[in-house]
Amino acid sequence: MVEALLQALISGLAVGGAYALVALGFSITFTTTKTLNFSHGEFVSAGAFIGMSALFLVLGKPLSSTTFGDAVPGAGAQLFALVAALGVMGFLGWLLYVLGVRPFAGRPGMAWVMSTLGFGVILQSVGLAIWGPKPVVVPAPVGDTVIRMFGVGVRPQELLTLGVAVVVMIGFDRVMNRTMIGKAMRAVAQNGNVASLMGINTNAMMIGAFVVSSALAGLSGFLLAPIAQASLFMGLTVGLKGFSGAMIGGLSNPRGCVIGGFLLGVLESMVNLWQAQWREVAVFALVILVLAFRPTGLFGRSTVEKV
Amino acid sequence: MKTIRLYKTLLATAAFAAFSAGAYAQDIKLGYNGDLSASPSAQSGQAAVLGMEAAIADLNAAGGALGRKFTLVTRDDVSAPPKSIQNMSDLVDNEKVVAVFGPTNSGNAMAWKHIANQKKIPVLGNVGSGTDITKPMSAGADNYMFRVSMVDREQVAALMAYVKRNAAGSKVVGLMAETTGYGQGGLKDMEEIAKLQDIKIAATERFGVGDTDMTSQLSKMKAANVDTVVVWAQGTPIAQLVRSMEKINYFPLTLTSWAADNITFYDAAGKALAEKPIFMRTVSETRTPAQQKLFDRIGSKLKAPGSFSFALHGYDSVLLLAQAMKQANSTEGAAVRVALEDLKTPVQGVLKTYEKPFSKTNHEALTAKDLVWIRWKDGKLMPYSDALIGALKPADFKQ
Repeated sequence: MVEALLQALISGLAVGGAYALVALGFSITFTTTKTLNFSHGEFVSAGAFIGMSALFLVLGKPLSSTTFGDAVPGAGAQLFALVAALGVMGFLGWLLYVLGVRPFAGRPGMAWVMSTLGFGVILQSVGLAIWGPKPVVVPAPVGDTVIRMFGVGVRPQELLTLGVAVVVMIGFDRVMNRTMIGKAMRAVAQNGNVASLMGINTNAMMIGAFVVSSALAGLSGFLLAPIAQASLFMGLTVGLKGFSGAMIGGLSNPRGCVIGGFLLGVLESMVNLWQAQWREVAVFALVILVLAFRPTGLFGRSTVEKV
Repeated sequence: MKTIRLYKTLLATAAFAAFSAGAYAQDIKLGYNGDLSASPSAQSGQAAVLGMEAAIADLNAAGGALGRKFTLVTRDDVSAPPKSIQNMSDLVDNEKVVAVFGPTNSGNAMAWKHIANQKKIPVLGNVGSGTDITKPMSAGADNYMFRVSMVDREQVAALMAYVKRNAAGSKVVGLMAETTGYGQGGLKDMEEIAKLQDIKIAATERFGVGDTDMTSQLSKMKAANVDTVVVWAQGTPIAQLVRSMEKINYFPLTLTSWAADNITFYDAAGKALAEKPIFMRTVSETRTPAQQKLFDRIGSKLKAPGSFSFALHGYDSVLLLAQAMKQANSTEGAAVRVALEDLKTPVQGVLKTYEKPFSKTNHEALTAKDLVWIRWKDGKLMPYSDALIGALKPADFKQ
């Protein structure tokens, strides 16, 4: 029983790592621009495919390939793929902000909600046109041999995702609290007009938020692809669960969002250990309960709505 | 002079148009409604269409039916039920097809089977395997839904017959299924047939279609000493299941739905783990000469060699419909349905020779006894056999 509990805990943390990265992505745009990228899930899928295509490029295969066969990309290729996924997704984040958010932000209604959703649909449709619907198995940069500790089995890629989520959380936390750029972002989040009067380039901060958030989605996709297979549909679930994690933790608190993501992963795993068919009920019941008693999430601060 | 030339041109154009329209109207239009682009099952739909096109070409080369040629109109339902319903109306009302094939997703068939029955349009499913697709809308009602494909309940009947026979190796039996309509439909079949076979189910577990870790559910199975697991899920989740088995080093005898034949299962599970489950399908990669001939013809167009079975279903389903039309001497839906339910001439298909494949109460052309046992071996879907399979008799299959 202890073994099963430990297995569920480790597995939950590994899945939660992916949720945490997505949750952090939601938090970054929300804290800075008070908007969300509702196609964040599609951005995760796109990140997986950008990374995969970069690997194909290095291996000399067509970018639209859908199988690696026996080809095993080396460390350099994986690093290049990671940089490509972060870079291209960051660029797409900038594009999303310029085309889909900035023209609508501050106007009556919620046009940006539709435009971010639409951006995701476009991304998915373009992806389908290039790669088709078949999921692609992507070789893991750290191998695929199960690691066993105290009777618990885990794959290296799951540990990597978990580790990266923790490192990114700590790194982001430090940047936000100890650097000028972090302070500037927080100032913009607090009051854009005042921050602007203080000489902070609010527009650049907002672009930066979308670039970083989208790059994080790319990172999630890159890390998830060897675990779940690169699929243009993979982001939907992880996007929804990541958002749920962010709501539990508190959208306005990046640290809380990450904790919410991990919490959700472990909760899922534990419910599976009990009755898996009640998992979704348990997850969303928890989200509703948290929002009922703490509308800003477990670690969130009360905020004033502004767009 | 110019005016006369203009009249002549107009007259010629009109005559050509009338001729073309006449020829067009004489064609027997068949429709395909299924996913051709939007989900992993799209490759199955594409393969079925390739098989249908090959059959139509062969039939047309032999003169067609009722002195008319066949044409195929395809509609992509992008795996979405609303789109599939819309396609059905478009094919029947606008395109005036006389029969529909597909879809790829069982849920989509369930979404529009009432249309086929109300408009009396025969449907020959050649991909989706959901048990309820071919059930009549009400007891004794005329039923226009036929199938030349796998059937969930037929597979379950065979798998459970195997478990029952394997009394020495299957002492504690568990069931697992994904939480989609496909998984839950299969789970219902498994529970019902287990009861008929008097097989006690020690544990039942579910998992999400997108889950990447099922170790929690498997830990419970392991704790309950389950030695045989019967699984109903799609290819990728089955792969994640065997990968989770590896994590906790627990490998019970694993019997699965035919979805394990999908290349996505093999890719995701990897060679060693892919060889764990045993499942069923209509054809192995050890092909008959007729199957090989068709494979040589269309194999290069298949997205994955494993999807060839759908091409066979597609091919044979067209032959059966054509034979029914010949027998009915009509393309009218009700007459074709009656003919399908009482085909007097055997039809030589590529999967088998169909002798009275359908009846008023049976609309499945392929049943448990037509299926072959499969296990992945070195990347190929190879026939699997053991002493238990050899000993299975028709009386062992209970439904």
